[in-house]
Amino acid sequence: MLTFTVRRLLQLPLVLFAVSLIIVGMMQFLPPSARAAAFVKSEQQLAHIDEIIKQYHLDAPFYVQYWTWVQNALHGNFGFSRVAKKPVLEAFAEKLPVSAELAFYAFLPMLIVSIWLGTLAAIYRDKLIDQIVRVLAVLFWSIPTFVLGIALVAVVYGYLRLFGIGRLPSDLIIELAQASAVGKFHYYTGFLTLDGLLNGRLDVTWAALKHLVLPALTLILVQGAQLVRVMRSSMLDELGKDYVRTARAKGLPDRVVYYKHARRNALIPIITLAGLMFAFMINGVVITETIFNLPGLGQWAALAAVQLDQPAILGFALLTAVIVTTANIVVDLLYALVDPRIRYE
Amino acid sequence: MAELAAMKPQRESFWRSRVWKRFRRNPLALVGTAIVIFYVLVAIFAPALTADRMGRNCLRDLGLKRTEAARVLRNPLHPVFWRATVAPPKSCYRIPRKGYSPVPKPPSKKYPLGLAGGGYDIYYGLVWGTRTAFYVGILVVGIALLIGILIGGASGYIGGWVDNLLMRFTDVIYAFPGLVLVMVVVTIFGRSLTTIMLAIAVVGWPTYARMLRGNILKTKAQDYVDAARALGAGGLRIFFKHVLPNSIGPLIILASLDIGSIVLSVAALSFLGLGPGIGFADWGQMVNFARGWIVGPPGEPLKYWYTWVWPSLMIALFVLGWNLLGDAVRDALDPRS
Repeated sequence: MLTFTVRRLLQLPLVLFAVSLIIVGMMQFLPPSARAAAFVKSEQQLAHIDEIIKQYHLDAPFYVQYWTWVQNALHGNFGFSRVAKKPVLEAFAEKLPVSAELAFYAFLPMLIVSIWLGTLAAIYRDKLIDQIVRVLAVLFWSIPTFVLGIALVAVVYGYLRLFGIGRLPSDLIIELAQASAVGKFHYYTGFLTLDGLLNGRLDVTWAALKHLVLPALTLILVQGAQLVRVMRSSMLDELGKDYVRTARAKGLPDRVVYYKHARRNALIPIITLAGLMFAFMINGVVITETIFNLPGLGQWAALAAVQLDQPAILGFALLTAVIVTTANIVVDLLYALVDPRIRYE
Repeated sequence: MAELAAMKPQRESFWRSRVWKRFRRNPLALVGTAIVIFYVLVAIFAPALTADRMGRNCLRDLGLKRTEAARVLRNPLHPVFWRATVAPPKSCYRIPRKGYSPVPKPPSKKYPLGLAGGGYDIYYGLVWGTRTAFYVGILVVGIALLIGILIGGASGYIGGWVDNLLMRFTDVIYAFPGLVLVMVVVTIFGRSLTTIMLAIAVVGWPTYARMLRGNILKTKAQDYVDAARALGAGGLRIFFKHVLPNSIGPLIILASLDIGSIVLSVAALSFLGLGPGIGFADWGQMVNFARGWIVGPPGEPLKYWYTWVWPSLMIALFVLGWNLLGDAVRDALDPRS
């Protein structure tokens, strides 16, 4: 286990090296003045762009530039984002909780529901429930995230007047801004649903939850559909194996055979996928946050891309790489912990 | 001698193969095929379908007058019909506008699917957008396949540290959220259809590289490869004559089925506003036009439904068709089923 952990952990710096090399390499296609924007810390500095080009050796050879960039990045300096009107790292830290909260409320229900539906469909293969699950899965798998999001906004929010758009109703946003200015409301975690509880403001938690329903539902439906398909086929594979027949022959009840024997093994591909799902989730978050007007990382990145705010996009890409790679490594380690066979491969 | 002739491997006809039989018996496969064929037809006959509503520049570039357009473009005997169908001028991909009112107009007799904000004809945009979709899908799959074949081929065939290095690189790209990488490329190289296509191809090749590598490892161990080597064939000759052709078949089929998901990515980018220029016939952009009109004024929340329902349906059905087809082909190819 130790060698496996070390080997796996060593991949993190390697991945970061590769990603940063790609990003700095691509930056070379920009003119020096555009690259200089990555080192600007405030709006005033934009006036002295030539000095910045000199100071950061932006006209120097590639390896010098890469080294300066790495030094800056290690000091947490990723430049200034025009869109957020803040340094990139600061903006990232401010917006991360919004996206993390959405991902949190989408990820767990998605895992549970899709594992359950996938198992059910596999057990009752070709029965009515299987047909329904399969048709729904292929339908939601085919609906683009933005199409489903828009449909939910129009019908559920617009027509049925349920739930909400944005993070909170606007009157609550103003009230909270005033309250936090005088120290009556503290942002401990940045998760509004949690901060509401910690401050004893249940109305905030309730409102925040109501505003999370639609974006979370969008993510769950679109991404869960793929997971259901994988779970179903993985479970079918396991059900066809000899040990299942042995278990049945021993006279074990169906429940035990399905849930204790087959499903445990069928979950293995799901765990691998869960790491990758995290990456897909980030794709989905960019789109859902844009549609549902959540001021998180995704909305920021989408706006930054449209307005060619390069420092924001590059910083966002690198920090996302850190998160995704770390998540993948954690998943791998968990996976090796759960299933000893993995370690020896 | 007669015995030897009888032993000659006989190629099974495709129409009698089990793969085809399995495919044909699957009802979902037929639905998928029908949907894809529908879109192919729409794409091919886009000029004829929109002959009565062509934009001014498109008509000029085709050398047609508005009064004769419908007659000429629906007449397969006329040379301009073929020109418009096979290689239409770029201006035909611009959606014609009826007025410049920012407010969408509901479906009418002349504009059966309505006008998007800015007076863009939704029907025209969707029909010509089908062409854009196929163009983008086919080209992106082609580029991604090329990169995948180069990297996966080198990785599997050469092996050793080359394999290790290339596969670790593949892992990095594979695990990275594709949309983010595409956004990086688009912000640096500027917004255009070409950039988007390149960016999506650059993100999409790892699956192909991995698959090809796996297939090559299997093929490399076959006796005929040893036989070729024993006969004195060089490394490159063995690769191109024996290993690659025997490893690439399923890859090409499966890759071509990715057209649906590629069109989906392009539509998502264009929905975010990173697509080709405004007014270019492209489904994602049609949805983007609708962004401000999803919820109507108080009292009539669904007033502008036509701005988003039609483009959404067009994209979702396209992707559904390819997904059904893809599922059916994978099932048919899978020896376990």
